[in-house]
Amino acid sequence: MAAEKSLALFRSRLCDTRFVHSAFKSSPESNYSKLKFLISTSISEGCNNSVLLLGPRGSGKAAVVDLVLEDLKMEHPDAISVIRLNGLLHSDDNSALKEIARQLCLENQLLFSKMASSDDNSQFMIDMLRECGLAHKGVIFVLDEFDLFTQGKQRLLYSLLDALQTLTSQAVVIGVSCRLDADQLLEKRVRSRFSHRKILFIPPPAEDIQRLQNIFSDKKFKEILNSLLDVDGTISNLLRFLFRAVSCIDMDSGFLSLENFKSAHLCTQRQPKIDALQGASILELYILVCMERLEFKEKNSYNFTSIMKEYKAIHDAYKTSDNYANMVCLRAFEHLLDRELISFTDSKGWNQPIEFRPVKLLISAHELYHGLKSNSACPAILQKLFDHESYK
Amino acid sequence: MGNEEKTPQATPKRATRSSSSSLATSPNPSIHPQTPPSLPDHLLFPQPPISLSQLLSNLPGRKPQILDIVRLIGPRNSPMLPLLLYGRASTGKTSTVLQVFRHLNRPFVYASCRSCHSPRILFETVLNQLLLYNRNKRDGYSSTKRCERPSEFVDLLRDALRKLGSKETSMIYLVFDNVELIRGWIRSSGIISLLFRLFDILKIPELGLIYVSSATPDAYYSMTGSIEPNSVYFPDYTADDLHSIFMRNQENPKLYSSFLSVVLKPFVRVTRRVDELATAFEPLFRKYCEPLTDLKLVPDEIMKRRLFVYLQPHLAASLNETFSIPLKDSFEANKEGVSTKTGSIRKKCGGKDASAELDFHMSVSAKYLLLSAFLASRNPATLDAALFDSTGGSSSRKRKRKSSQTSIDNMDDKAEEMLIKGPGSFPLERLLAIFQCITSLSEDALEEEQIGDGVTTINGRISLMSDALLQLSTLCNANFLHKSGSCPLEGSGRYRSTVDEDLAFKVARSINFPLSKYMYRR
Repeated sequence: MAAEKSLALFRSRLCDTRFVHSAFKSSPESNYSKLKFLISTSISEGCNNSVLLLGPRGSGKAAVVDLVLEDLKMEHPDAISVIRLNGLLHSDDNSALKEIARQLCLENQLLFSKMASSDDNSQFMIDMLRECGLAHKGVIFVLDEFDLFTQGKQRLLYSLLDALQTLTSQAVVIGVSCRLDADQLLEKRVRSRFSHRKILFIPPPAEDIQRLQNIFSDKKFKEILNSLLDVDGTISNLLRFLFRAVSCIDMDSGFLSLENFKSAHLCTQRQPKIDALQGASILELYILVCMERLEFKEKNSYNFTSIMKEYKAIHDAYKTSDNYANMVCLRAFEHLLDRELISFTDSKGWNQPIEFRPVKLLISAHELYHGLKSNSACPAILQKLFDHESYK
Repeated sequence: MGNEEKTPQATPKRATRSSSSSLATSPNPSIHPQTPPSLPDHLLFPQPPISLSQLLSNLPGRKPQILDIVRLIGPRNSPMLPLLLYGRASTGKTSTVLQVFRHLNRPFVYASCRSCHSPRILFETVLNQLLLYNRNKRDGYSSTKRCERPSEFVDLLRDALRKLGSKETSMIYLVFDNVELIRGWIRSSGIISLLFRLFDILKIPELGLIYVSSATPDAYYSMTGSIEPNSVYFPDYTADDLHSIFMRNQENPKLYSSFLSVVLKPFVRVTRRVDELATAFEPLFRKYCEPLTDLKLVPDEIMKRRLFVYLQPHLAASLNETFSIPLKDSFEANKEGVSTKTGSIRKKCGGKDASAELDFHMSVSAKYLLLSAFLASRNPATLDAALFDSTGGSSSRKRKRKSSQTSIDNMDDKAEEMLIKGPGSFPLERLLAIFQCITSLSEDALEEEQIGDGVTTINGRISLMSDALLQLSTLCNANFLHKSGSCPLEGSGRYRSTVDEDLAFKVARSINFPLSKYMYRR
């Protein structure tokens, strides 16, 4: 019973990024404090501001914004209204203006008309900003995926940042993006109205990781953690790893063990191409080896018929038992295409039959070599054919 | 929440797959009307839930994956991070995930990107299921809410989930199947990013997201960074797994297992996919059981040996066939399959054989047109004069003069080129000229035959030119001919034949046409 409760608690905490990042609230140097200071000063002093939050995916930018807004809403209950836009959904200017108008209406209990044109919406937004400014109520615009708003003419960005320039409005624009050069994407007139404040989110420094590692003094655990964070040091990667480890918790004892972490680590280290090679049938391996030999002979482009020629040549030379008809080989060829181990070189595929379109290998000779070795059913002759090219 | 079967009007139409897992279902419980159950109940799996051990035995070879999925989904009412199941086609991903939900007995929404082939259909399918709406004839099969853009989808999804979750906080799971097909849609990168970031955009902990894809996770990396969901890999079945899969639901397990011990090993060398093996095994098993009078008996060693010897010739032939579900019950040895194992298969060259090698019917003029197209694509145009003289006969192709080394090299190069480039294109006039030549030739041949045998032929008069033009468009539609781009200066369009040699020889044999005489051999 206790084990289930603890499991549920772990899972709910790991899935909630805000909980994780609230641990960093306390330190004064953190991004949370910086952002909170920025917004609260602009609200209390009644001035406009714009800021960009930049950092790789999973570093907690959106989580920090949520935390800050939550706290500010608690501190100043009526002085803030929040408008959220997402670049994936609202990159088109018209839909963005519509969404802004809709959220403004929602906040202020006004009726929203879906038929309003974009001019009406933008006029409405400007009027609302003025009214809010007069009422000393700050409007905070949060733009997720900011770099997607910079495609096209950037009309929305211009009108937003332009509205910030008037005396009567009191607004903050927060842009969140994972492209570190998001401000370079802005047009000249937009960039001049932007206040060039940037808060960078970087993966947690080494000391914090040290503190985490000191929980377990086990050397193996430190190794696992190091190799995980070497690849991707963001917090969300760590969270996913922990989630996976927690889900394997032993329900009888209710304790996490090193085995859980090891198996979670293995899951993050998959090699899809080698796995695909292990699952390939022997005929498919033959086709791959033939393609490799053709590439080794430096044929610029080859297609299924040339592969078949090579295949028949091998069988004539070695008299193997795996001699199959053209149709069967074509089916194996199509399986390889599905698994994305090979692909066509011409993307248009102008209605030529499959046998004549040029193909290429999508795996390197090294991977093929390891795949052949690890495939338990692989006949020795294939390895011999492959070793012939001395790829070690 | 009991196991009652809902009335047919109440259950929404599920797009569930029941393909490879033919499970022994328990008898349907009786329908008793009750107070309407809470809304998420309608999203449960329509059949009664099963236990974990039954789940594991229903899906042999998938134990680690099933346990992994169950652990990652977690206990009831516990949030989960998005999950991606990936593996090759026909490895049981969809069946596994649906059966897991049957076992867990939790509400879920299933949408396959194969049947929902555009964003709008995908969004509306998900919303229809969440809002428990059935498409019916009254409204012209329209959906409950019109939803085209991703922004509308997110808003409507939020509303729908809020409505559902207002009674109790239970988890709803969205299963998106065949996600790799989205890559072929227009504006695919936006949709893929949206789907994989749905968890972050919505920020609703009661929603669990599961993606099923046959492409590996690196197919979904986008240019602006992406979050990789927790993934579970479905490896291909090993030979033992395949054995246990095929042994399920067999009436006579001992007989079938002796059959499998004969056929499984050679076939696994060719393909490891369950669906293809099943198609190949079915006619073979019927052949295997032919000499047995009593299908229920358990074979002993001697009988096994005899059955093996009986099956062997057909085995080799079947290895060289793909996916042929024979129309007749009798199993013919394919003449194309040459086996080096027993060497006891005779090459059957039956031209007038009742078992037509051609599986479909074509009119005679269409066959001649097809052969002319094949020859026109294969032979270079300069050879036409030599091959087809004015009377339609073919002159001897044996070059009398000795070929020098350079001309041999030239011929080799040309052969290589033809191998790479494929069939050539030809103008319409050339096609019709060749057609006329070979039909006039066969007319003469048939008339001689008629005079000789006194037996009426089935063919009758060969077609005229106008018939040929009609057949041309039919062949184009059937993808035997492909119309290449035509230059307006040149006049009529150029065509290209897309038939392979096997089919051309089959057609030629069915009308007794000596195709090999006319083919350009290097």
